[in-house]
Amino acid sequence: MSGRRAPLALLATGVVTAAALTAIASSGHVPAASAATTTFTPTADTHVDNSTTGTNYGTSGQLGVDGSPIKRMFLKFTVSGVSGTIGSAKLRLHTDDVTGSNSPAGGSVRAMTDTTWSETGVTWNNQPAIDGATLDALGSVARNAWYEVDVTAHVRANGTFSFGVTSTSTDGADYDSRETGATAPQLVITTGTTTTTTTTPPAAGDPVLVGAGDISNSGSGDTATAALLDTIPGTVFTTGDNVYSNGTATEFANYYNPTWGRHKARTRPSPGNHDYGTSGATGYYDYFGTLAGPSGRGYYSYDLGNWHIVSLNSNISMSAGSAQEQWLRADLAANTKPCTAAYWHHPLFTSGANHAPSTATRPLFQALYDHNADVVLFGHNHQYERFAPQNPSGGLDTTRGIRTFVAGMGGASHYGFGTIRPNSEVRNSTAYGVLKLTLHSTGFDWQFVPVAGQTFTDSGTTACH
Amino acid sequence: MTTRVRLLVTALAAVLLAAVAVGYAALSGSAPDEVASTAVSGPRLVVVSNGRLATVSRSDPSGPREVTEQRCDRVYRAGGTTSCLRPVGAFKAGELAVLDAGLNEVRTVPLTGFPNRTRVSPSGRMVAWTLFVDGHSYAANGFSTTTGILDTKTGALVTSLEEFTSTVDGTAATAVDRNFWGVTFTADDNRFYATMSTGGHRYLVEGDFAARTLRSIADNVECPSLSPDGRHIAYKAAVNGDPQQGWRLSTLDLGTFAVTPLAETRSVDDQPTWLDQRTIAYGIQRDDGVNDVWAVPADGSGAPAVLVPEANSPAPPD
Repeated sequence: MSGRRAPLALLATGVVTAAALTAIASSGHVPAASAATTTFTPTADTHVDNSTTGTNYGTSGQLGVDGSPIKRMFLKFTVSGVSGTIGSAKLRLHTDDVTGSNSPAGGSVRAMTDTTWSETGVTWNNQPAIDGATLDALGSVARNAWYEVDVTAHVRANGTFSFGVTSTSTDGADYDSRETGATAPQLVITTGTTTTTTTTPPAAGDPVLVGAGDISNSGSGDTATAALLDTIPGTVFTTGDNVYSNGTATEFANYYNPTWGRHKARTRPSPGNHDYGTSGATGYYDYFGTLAGPSGRGYYSYDLGNWHIVSLNSNISMSAGSAQEQWLRADLAANTKPCTAAYWHHPLFTSGANHAPSTATRPLFQALYDHNADVVLFGHNHQYERFAPQNPSGGLDTTRGIRTFVAGMGGASHYGFGTIRPNSEVRNSTAYGVLKLTLHSTGFDWQFVPVAGQTFTDSGTTACH
Repeated sequence: MTTRVRLLVTALAAVLLAAVAVGYAALSGSAPDEVASTAVSGPRLVVVSNGRLATVSRSDPSGPREVTEQRCDRVYRAGGTTSCLRPVGAFKAGELAVLDAGLNEVRTVPLTGFPNRTRVSPSGRMVAWTLFVDGHSYAANGFSTTTGILDTKTGALVTSLEEFTSTVDGTAATAVDRNFWGVTFTADDNRFYATMSTGGHRYLVEGDFAARTLRSIADNVECPSLSPDGRHIAYKAAVNGDPQQGWRLSTLDLGTFAVTPLAETRSVDDQPTWLDQRTIAYGIQRDDGVNDVWAVPADGSGAPAVLVPEANSPAPPD
């Protein structure tokens, strides 16, 4: 049934209908039990074409599926090192970023018994039989996006598994093959118990903004926080330092893409100093594309429900009169939404022991304060900290003050705290997690959602000005 | 607020209710410059109490606390000299402030970076400091520190130990990856010990201020602290030689080089302090960023116990 497919691009828009909701897409779910996620890439993938019956496409960067001419895709994964009961297995495919890769029907995924075929040997003439059960089907697919189908029925333990993908649509789809690296197919195995218990009622359509900063490296923290995103719909924000240590394309491909990259299509990032470890942050801009706003600029805005959301760049000039500050003031002046949120990397308010407050960001905060913004999210110090509403000088301001969070708990590592600053309300330096904001029409709820195995949490509500 | 109220009550258990009210107002953010303070007499420990230089009674360290106006992220006191690493402010970089016995500022040295460690020689003459140059922590890969020493008698200032000639096992060490941290002084106001990191090793080095030399004498020794008798080093030893796995508080016998792990089994990221020949003090941070000063016997026996709640950077009575 196609409902088990999670069209990630749709999640970003927040307009998923109730009929399409499944465990992965339902609102208000928080994992109540531990679950571990392991991602595998294919050991072989190719496609065959009945218009070129003797040709092997094993080293191509593209996997095609079509009804005319007939193209069939073959994928093979070796699952190893997985302990415990497999709760789910998801096959993830990324459509090519080329004209025509989209399709009204992305293909039907079937199990295969033959696991001996060779990527560089398969042609139309000698193709293995697609002889197993139909596992799931891909619906309409767009260009340059991730799609997911449920193949749990076929993958029940460690071993080697083959999948065939076929289509009867004459408007076929094209996916990226394993040769592409960052957008190679994935088999995501989740072990342990995943809850389907609804802990809070769905928020009646109010949009969700969820995320963190200081996220991906060779460790496992980003895997754990990405697993949280699997259960939380909405728009994903990042408060910079998306990858370590130097913001290279390779780091995005190897660290971010297999974890938080699953939610790329619904992500609106901001860059950090480590992203700028590559000159001009080209790794960041190339990876996120238009999701990161105009390439190379790093600041942009969008609306979610009753909210105006601004993503800013604290790695370039922020001084009063700078291009960014002038853009921000114009953007806020043109805004008609009653509530406003903003996020960037370097914190104006932090008690962290590793990075002092970044006073260079104050002109941005001043502009937001002048326009009655409601909440600002930071990263940079690898920890979680919540401040009471403050004015740009750091004074408590219960009338017009902006509530701020340091959400640097995305998975890279943890830092300690130094002297605890005035108006710091809650801190944690040991739990990875994500900060979930539910954006109501006249206020917002915040919730620190910890990764499996951690218990720290923090939640509350603030009204818009 | 529950946690904060509880902490406050703990801190001010012996203080009048009026003072509690002032302290509560301070932590509530309405008057951040007001903190409760009670005069302390007799032998005193010096600590940092959330960014303020403070003293507590050696015999009642969890009791009344005298909190001064001196803002320091890290302190030490010996021989009547107090070193105070000022926090990075909104409009200025950090600095070292050298204070006399009356806490009058007698010398400052502008510094760039995040305050981390500081020490004073037993006579009060020599002052050392370590700062993180660009954020990060000792558990992070690729961090940088800068460590300097001031001779308050002559005014001689070494802004970085990188200026000294250093050797590892007798071979000159010139690698650009060298970092230094955690100076501790001997009683002669010339020799000292510190950590030198290079090539993935963290060496205990012995320094000679006059000769401007450093030589390695042991490996996997960080943040050394010399005992009052000058014969033992208390330090943090990376677990399995890997700082990513945390540190075990240990002592090293400088005569036999025998290592004794202390009874504190939690990871300690601090430069420990000898309160006396038998007792080691150090800070441990709670999950919410509040620190406590703990103490544990120096011979590996016993168990750790909180010495000064809600404080860090301890120094023994001078």
